[in-house]
Amino acid sequence: MNASPAQRTLTIMVAVALAIGALITAFPFLWMLLASFKPQREALDFPPTLLPLAPTLEHYVTLFVQLDFGRYLVNTLLVVAISFLGLLIMAMAGYGFAKFEFRGRRWMFFLVLATMMIPVQVTMIPTFLILNAMKLTNTLAGIALPTLVSGFNIFLFRQFMSTIPDEMIEAARLDGAGEMRIFVSIIVPLAVPIFAVQAVLTFIAGWNSFLWPLIIANDQKLYTLSVGLSLLNQQLAVNPSLQMAAAALMVVPMFVVFVIFQRHIVQGFTLSGLK
Amino acid sequence: MRRTTTISALAGLATLLLSGTALAAPVTVWIMGDSSANFDALVAPFETETGIDVETVAIPWDAVDEKLTTSVASGQGPDVVQIGLSKLRTFADAGALLPLNDLVAGYPGLAPENFADGVAGDATAVAGQIVSVPWISDTRVLFYRKDILEAAGFANPPATWDELRAMAKTLTARGDGQYGYYIPQWDSPLPVVMTWDNGGDIVNADGNVDFTSPGFAAAVDLYTGLHADGSVPKNGDFDQTQGFISGIAPMLVSGPYLAKAIAGAAPELDGKWGITTLPKGSASGTSLFAGSNMGVFATTDAPDESLKLLEFLSKPETQVEWFKLNGELPSVKAALADPALADDPLVTVYAAQLADAKVLPMVSNWDGGVGSELLKALNSIVLTGADRATALANLAAATAGESIN
Amino acid sequence: MTRRLAPYVFVGPAMLLLATFGVFPILVAGLVSLTNMNLGGLARWSNIKWVGLSNYAKLFRDPDFWQALWNTVFFVGLGVPCVVLLSLGVALLLNRSQGPFFRALRAFYFVPAITGIVAISLVWSYLYNTQFGLLNYLLSLVGVKPVQWLSDPTLAKFSVGLVAVWRGTGLNIIILLAALQGIPRDYYEAAALDGANGWQRTRFVTVPLLSYALFFVTVTTLIGWLQFFDEPFVLTDGGPLGHTTSVSLFIYKEGFRGSQFGYASAGSLVLFVIIAAVTLLQLRLRRRDLE
Repeated sequence: MNASPAQRTLTIMVAVALAIGALITAFPFLWMLLASFKPQREALDFPPTLLPLAPTLEHYVTLFVQLDFGRYLVNTLLVVAISFLGLLIMAMAGYGFAKFEFRGRRWMFFLVLATMMIPVQVTMIPTFLILNAMKLTNTLAGIALPTLVSGFNIFLFRQFMSTIPDEMIEAARLDGAGEMRIFVSIIVPLAVPIFAVQAVLTFIAGWNSFLWPLIIANDQKLYTLSVGLSLLNQQLAVNPSLQMAAAALMVVPMFVVFVIFQRHIVQGFTLSGLK
Repeated sequence: MRRTTTISALAGLATLLLSGTALAAPVTVWIMGDSSANFDALVAPFETETGIDVETVAIPWDAVDEKLTTSVASGQGPDVVQIGLSKLRTFADAGALLPLNDLVAGYPGLAPENFADGVAGDATAVAGQIVSVPWISDTRVLFYRKDILEAAGFANPPATWDELRAMAKTLTARGDGQYGYYIPQWDSPLPVVMTWDNGGDIVNADGNVDFTSPGFAAAVDLYTGLHADGSVPKNGDFDQTQGFISGIAPMLVSGPYLAKAIAGAAPELDGKWGITTLPKGSASGTSLFAGSNMGVFATTDAPDESLKLLEFLSKPETQVEWFKLNGELPSVKAALADPALADDPLVTVYAAQLADAKVLPMVSNWDGGVGSELLKALNSIVLTGADRATALANLAAATAGESIN
Repeated sequence: MTRRLAPYVFVGPAMLLLATFGVFPILVAGLVSLTNMNLGGLARWSNIKWVGLSNYAKLFRDPDFWQALWNTVFFVGLGVPCVVLLSLGVALLLNRSQGPFFRALRAFYFVPAITGIVAISLVWSYLYNTQFGLLNYLLSLVGVKPVQWLSDPTLAKFSVGLVAVWRGTGLNIIILLAALQGIPRDYYEAAALDGANGWQRTRFVTVPLLSYALFFVTVTTLIGWLQFFDEPFVLTDGGPLGHTTSVSLFIYKEGFRGSQFGYASAGSLVLFVIIAAVTLLQLRLRRRDLE
């Protein structure tokens, strides 16, 4: 678009409006970060101050030293790593639904969509009993398994895979490539953008996972960050700053991941045929 | 319980190699709270002495229901579990807790007469069966701001609920946004305590839940009256710690954890606030006996080790040690009388109140059932102006058939 | 691997997992809803009795369930349009320039979406607190009396909804932004040549081309709000007096607080049917749109 002076003024106005909106949106996050550096006494002060008057790192030290947050962090990363396996399974499913005609496709895909409509609270106890029967309670695999695949993500994969030209696949078949080989050497490289999106979504979900780690783990050694944080969230420890520090510890890494990968994320959605 | 994690296997191996004692079955303990570190320190001598490995798992208070429910469903629970008194009946009814009547005989440390009367033996038995051993005590006392009461011309804290109501009204008149007292909207035991203090109960002679006693009517008068006077904040998100520190609510009924929070957050208020036993109603100043017991999970495969651990936890010196580590009150009489506690002026008040405290009626599922219906009825009267007779009729209908039998 | 077998191999693992952890549990819930399952029943299955449809009958007579249902309708009615329109608006504005400043701003709008619910509860409870919250403090500076954000029955619905709107926009903004960037430049240039101004270009070029993305965002948002749970759970626990209890929260409370799993399962199934009906209706409407 040609940038006339009027257009440029409008762009600046939009930029200012967006910046104000961004500040308001991110304010609770900013508040959390700043409060995490306040001593306990200051956090309870009224009227509140935005900036910590006597900034301290004591709460972060407490988290790591006293509350085993180092271990929770490792567990969280392990859960995220396992859930990345789900990406591959969902990509395969998306490809299958997008590029093959087969008996039962319609109702299977309907099932995929239907699972999006089931509230988690509903399925918690049956799911737990299933995992228990599979002897997977108290394992990291058991924590990751119930959320390994999701209808929403399979749907996104399918949308993306539909945009891959059939000719490419046919050409590879004529060259004698096997189906699995086509998937691995042609489809997966083409699907990098959607993998990027899904990786970030998976990371967010795994990072914040609370319910399953809590229920499946019979051993504190398997707790994740979210569960660790909720251990603090109780009446016996009225220390808002400590809680804020724990919360910040959870959000900041996600923020960094997003800032690094955001270009790929937007691109991935763009190419996923969601237009 | 099957424990197959490598870590515990290694730990067990290490115990075997280092101490040379026979490998006893490990005991898993679920405790409520923010960290297992203190509990690990507490039981370390027990582990050395007996060679029994104790694995502690801290369960967040917020998630106790989910955690206990799923463990009941699978039978894959811990060996020993800390259980709040208000949930005791629910889990005992489900058969999740091992009946201890016949077993405690072999463990003199677990004899009911060792424990505070409010929770000992039959007081926390479910359908005549002892299913748990008292662990920590907790009770509610009156917190008050000496400085604010004095400035308003009150030399002493209120001795009766009537006096409290009148004082609260005066204190509320201090200014806009000021109150005299605070009633947490989630505090279902408070109206029950008010009922007891006025000579009533919410369970009749047959053991059925019954909200028709004159004592309960007096409690409703008090509860609604404090609201009608404007003496208590009507917002549900009132923060009692900040409210007390700032002086907005200079009187309230709460437990020892509040004293700890105040001391931590506002050391400069030292000497300006105090606690005392509950004000009296027409009959008594009985308070709530809260706290937690320890139960043995029905599916345990280490009942002897579990009971040994419970006996260790019930030793007066262990209980005193726990008070020092974690600030929670003992349930063992001898420990309550220990000089380490008796020297603490706050603990003296708690101990005095514990001597006149009762547990909530052991109805099935207090928190999710009778307790929440009670709060719903009372709060609908005070918050939305619902008709008292209708609200109480609804309460009676919703809790019909509930009993302690 | 033959071509006939291939799709099953691709789809199989995911279907197996979905069937195990998605479909099977809802079937179990269906069965459970016909029983009096409680904690005792969970512990020993012999304690369970079939009760037919009586859980459903009780459910439809339960004023708390109806309150939760109407609350959910309110939340959906408030939340879905707000989330969709706000996401669309911000995405359109963010798409105005591809400069580094605009790109940097995206991250800020995405922050709420990546914040875990426990952290959200901490910060927002603090912001909303009647006596000591930041919002009321700021209002007091301009002489406004304390507002009961989470305690006033009507206002609490909006306050809880606001947090969910705040949290719900981030991902949708990114999806819509991506869709916007997928629109070829030529379309705008052609429209500009025809003399369309900025607003007309947005209205007649952008929005129609976005229709698929908008549809996707609307459906997923709608499903999310019908299952509304996290925000009232951590901020108000459904209070004051049930005014922010959604159907999901009602189910949760009956199930886990009240141990009435049979009854809660009946509620679950009703919610599932409502969600399925609403979603299918949307799909049907859209198909008619396209024809």
